Amino acid sequence: MNRSRRKNWNTVNAASLARWIVLTAFLALTGLSYVYLTLQLYHLGDRKKALETEVANLRMQNEVGSAQIAALTSRSALQRRLKEGYLKMIPIAEHNIVRLTMPTRNQEDILQPVSNQRAAR
Amino acid sequence: MKWNSRTRCALVCLGFVLLFSAFSFRLIYLQMIKHDQYAGLAAEKHVYKQPIFAERGTILDANNEVLAHNVPVETVVADATHLTDTDATVDFVSNELKLPREEVSEKLHGDRRYIVLKREVPKAISDSLRQKLRAQNLRGIYFERDATRIYPNGLMLCHVIGFTDFEHHGIQGVEGSLDEYLRGQDGYRYIEHNRAGQELVLYRGQERAPRNGYQVHLTVDLNLQNIVENELDAAMREYSPKKATIILMRPQTGEILAMANRPAFDLNHRSEAKPEQMKNRAISDMMEPGSTFKIVTAAAALNEHKFRLDSYIFCEKGIWNYGGTALHDHAAFTDLSVKDILVKSSNVGAAKLAVSVGDQKFYEYIRRFGFGERTGVELPGEIPGLIRPPQSWSKISITHIPMGHEIGVTALQMTAAMAAIANGGKLMTPRIVKSITTSDGKTVSTLSPIVLREVISPQTASQIGSALRGVVSDRGTAAAAAVPGFIIAGKTGTAQKVDPHGGYEKGQYVVSFCGYVPADHPEFVGLVVLDDAQTKPELNYGGLVAGPIFSRIAEKAARYLDLEPHEEIRKAIPVERVALTNAPRH
Repeated sequence: MNRSRRKNWNTVNAASLARWIVLTAFLALTGLSYVYLTLQLYHLGDRKKALETEVANLRMQNEVGSAQIAALTSRSALQRRLKEGYLKMIPIAEHNIVRLTMPTRNQEDILQPVSNQRAAR
Repeated sequence: MKWNSRTRCALVCLGFVLLFSAFSFRLIYLQMIKHDQYAGLAAEKHVYKQPIFAERGTILDANNEVLAHNVPVETVVADATHLTDTDATVDFVSNELKLPREEVSEKLHGDRRYIVLKREVPKAISDSLRQKLRAQNLRGIYFERDATRIYPNGLMLCHVIGFTDFEHHGIQGVEGSLDEYLRGQDGYRYIEHNRAGQELVLYRGQERAPRNGYQVHLTVDLNLQNIVENELDAAMREYSPKKATIILMRPQTGEILAMANRPAFDLNHRSEAKPEQMKNRAISDMMEPGSTFKIVTAAAALNEHKFRLDSYIFCEKGIWNYGGTALHDHAAFTDLSVKDILVKSSNVGAAKLAVSVGDQKFYEYIRRFGFGERTGVELPGEIPGLIRPPQSWSKISITHIPMGHEIGVTALQMTAAMAAIANGGKLMTPRIVKSITTSDGKTVSTLSPIVLREVISPQTASQIGSALRGVVSDRGTAAAAAVPGFIIAGKTGTAQKVDPHGGYEKGQYVVSFCGYVPADHPEFVGLVVLDDAQTKPELNYGGLVAGPIFSRIAEKAARYLDLEPHEEIRKAIPVERVALTNAPRH
């Protein structure tokens, strides 16, 4: 009786079982990590794309802004505003003019102002 | 035959082996032998070569003021296969893009898959349309990034800057001639799409960054250009000529400081411009220069030592019969020095100078001054002008060419010739481009002055310069071109207009003045040309129409360039008095 009962029990090899469990867990973790990292890569790719789009949009806004500045500060625009009276030009006073390179001239030279009344329109 | 269980089992196994072997061979065939073919087919379906467009370079003036640059816009396109609700899409698109509903409907209901709905749509409008389509969950409309060219100064310098077509290829002006530098080089990136058409960033392939176009810096100073354009507009209002041109050039280097023509057009509304408005007449129109050409005649005679500046020539009391034809002067001159031939603008005197030089030699001097060949300025559409060789001259050509008839020159050639007198006899290649840099300021190319040849000796140039000072004096034909405080040298020209059907048009003249300031150390050479100015016949002369325009430009330019005034030459002479005393017809 005892002998037959002993036969019905299988011995469990704890070490082997543990090895399998570890191996399976490792494979599962590897698989999950792979899936997780792949998803992360996709996510980061999307994020990269979104950032690229954002940078491109900001650059575009910057260019539009630069274009507007160029248009508003162009000579034609300033002259138009001058005509419309939005701007006023004040002549620079002589004492405000700083000449960086003083012209050399002979003693005999007489400085004459440049003015041409008839040319004025 | 009765098979036992082992045999049946073996047969089934064999069947499986054969089946899987077939599968394996098929897989090997597909994956290895046919790999490249199927990989290519798959790539065609999913991999897409996305272009990365290079930005076109900007054009700047000598002071780095922007003349042409880019503004981002979008092209609205439709993919007919992706449209979910065509009628609703038509409504939104036509409303937002301000397009006729019928036109949009016709396009979207057509057979084409890729449909361009509108180009150069401002970002604000495209964003608004994008949001509305998204809110309504309408698909099939896409936005492609693009850029359009903007010219902040509109009409100013239009012929020099030029413009681009809708594919961003330069058409005219610097945009056309330096397109290779301005255009840049597009980049690309291989990308993969998912089923929804979205890019899979993970599978990005080979990538090449674009190289943006270079920046082109012109020699033109917008401040001087502004002075010139304002005076040109004033001249158009006052004289209503058919055409007008003004050029300012630095004689020592050949740099063009300003160049303006009328009629002109707004570069931002170029589609509305007529062809005659788009022509850069300074380089693409031929004219008979008239008496301004006498500088070439006198220079040839003096350089060949046929005469001295103070040598006297009998001017036949105003009528000289040569080759069976009478050549007229506007006054009955008797003996005139070579200097006075220029000061008084005597046709007979100039003709005698040319005769003394001889046909062949005179022709050589004309060519040496650069007439009859393109100057080489960096602008498209330049013509060489028309200078016939002596073999095809008539008997009287030697008397007519010296006073600027029977030849065709461009305004730029005439300016370059005067610059050669001003700089001591060197013919400089006119230049409009100062340098080419990258977008971050690194110099790619700097264009240095090019001396084409020494046309005349410095002594001869000095002598001609001395005579030309007399032209802008009480005795000369261009008293009205004087600028108080500065010594001006210059020459007037009044040429009857050539009739395209032969002969000359009665009462129509091309009046011009070409001079430089200051006469002793020239800072700039200027040419003013008005074609068929509407004024009284007795006032329709180069010295009276073009001269005062030059004077006003020269005075303002001298102030701007901070030129030191030398002396008060004299008070201005009333225009009427000049007209009665020194009025040459040639």
